Amino acid sequence: MAVPTESDIDIWDDNILVDPYPTYAALREQADVVYLPKNDLYVLTRYDIIRDALGDPESFSSTSIGFNPMVNEALQGTSLASDPPVHTQLRATLSENLTPRALRGLKVVIDEKADKRVAELAASGSFEAIDSLARAFPIEIVADLIGFQGHVKDNMLRWGQAAMQVLGPLNQRTQENFPIAGELYGWCSSVTAEDLTPGSIGRGIFDAETRGDIPQGTAGHIIHQYLGAGVDTTIASIGNIIALFGHHPEQFKLVRENPALVPAAFAEVLRYWAPIHVWGRKATRDVEIDGVTIPAGAQVGILFGAGNRDPRHYENPDTFDVLRNPVDHLAFGYGPHGCAGQGLAKLEAHAIIEALARRVESLTISDEVRVPSNMTRSFDELQVVKVVAA
Amino acid sequence: MRIELDRPRCEGHGLCEEAAPKLMHLDDDGELVIDVPEVDGLNLVAAEAAVRVCPVAALRLAA
Repeated sequence: MAVPTESDIDIWDDNILVDPYPTYAALREQADVVYLPKNDLYVLTRYDIIRDALGDPESFSSTSIGFNPMVNEALQGTSLASDPPVHTQLRATLSENLTPRALRGLKVVIDEKADKRVAELAASGSFEAIDSLARAFPIEIVADLIGFQGHVKDNMLRWGQAAMQVLGPLNQRTQENFPIAGELYGWCSSVTAEDLTPGSIGRGIFDAETRGDIPQGTAGHIIHQYLGAGVDTTIASIGNIIALFGHHPEQFKLVRENPALVPAAFAEVLRYWAPIHVWGRKATRDVEIDGVTIPAGAQVGILFGAGNRDPRHYENPDTFDVLRNPVDHLAFGYGPHGCAGQGLAKLEAHAIIEALARRVESLTISDEVRVPSNMTRSFDELQVVKVVAA
Repeated sequence: MRIELDRPRCEGHGLCEEAAPKLMHLDDDGELVIDVPEVDGLNLVAAEAAVRVCPVAALRLAA
């Protein structure tokens, strides 16, 4: 059996992290599976292969979702890093409060908060979109939902960012973020029901632990995952919404004229700019893909953004098109580990897009600043230099 | 073909209902109900679309 072809790139190179799409295109054209010796990593590059791998936990284990042994060790016992059958119960506990049916009652509140925030920004003439919207909104929603208050709320952004960074390889970004991720880990290990707002979902998780509905000691794990997974990714998506509507005013106009396009527009934002760059799996056996073998035990990297731009699956994949409605995009992953928070992410993003469609006639952006990040691809700063209220 | 639902895995995202509203729906509690489990012809095409869009792979078609 043949070995995969190689590429000498470093997938965590600063320039690639900031602008990965030319690299994704080259890797995708090279092969389904490309071995990167610099990262000791087998990357999956095409839509069908990625989807098949995500749907096949028997061959591709989640025990190695991160790219360094310390973080994978720290995540053992969480639903994120486990495989069926153990995964099934952990996932059910994690997602119980996040399913669309559980979140239905929140829609009105989230819509109102988005509308108020966007209306204020639309009336302000100009604003910086990342701090004032992309960060502020999900932090407010998740803090209220889980019941974070005081110093914890103040730390949500840096803790959430660090929890993603430390999934990377042992580069400088990972090393610098381990102490910060450790603060979050430490807090989650010692948090008690009284630390969380009465009536919040976070308090409810502790109540479930007290009742014995979930195993002792798991409440902190679940809170850790809500914060680690639900902040940095949503921030990236909301920043991307503003930037893409700024870059493509004709697409924003389509959504303004037909708000029924809001879900399709968000799916296209996620397809076009995947918030998560790369995610790990471990080959549990020799896996043959298109005539080449990924050896048992190898670290695999799933390139969501490469799959989302695969011309074998999407026509004109490099065009941002809100009419496309790519409901099968890969940005939330797929299968048993498909993003557990996607219902909440959609509630938040749809609320923002609806509010933009209602409150904003046009927006002009400049000064987009991206800072390289191991796992998440997002803006650090994005100036809306002119906004015209509707 | 028969539409099979992995009930514990279903989280009620509802994309299947959008793809095949004549074959399945979310009830008032957000639980998925398969209204037409046995499918062929055009219903089979719709069922395949519903299986395809499930984000957590909770649906499948079996002979």
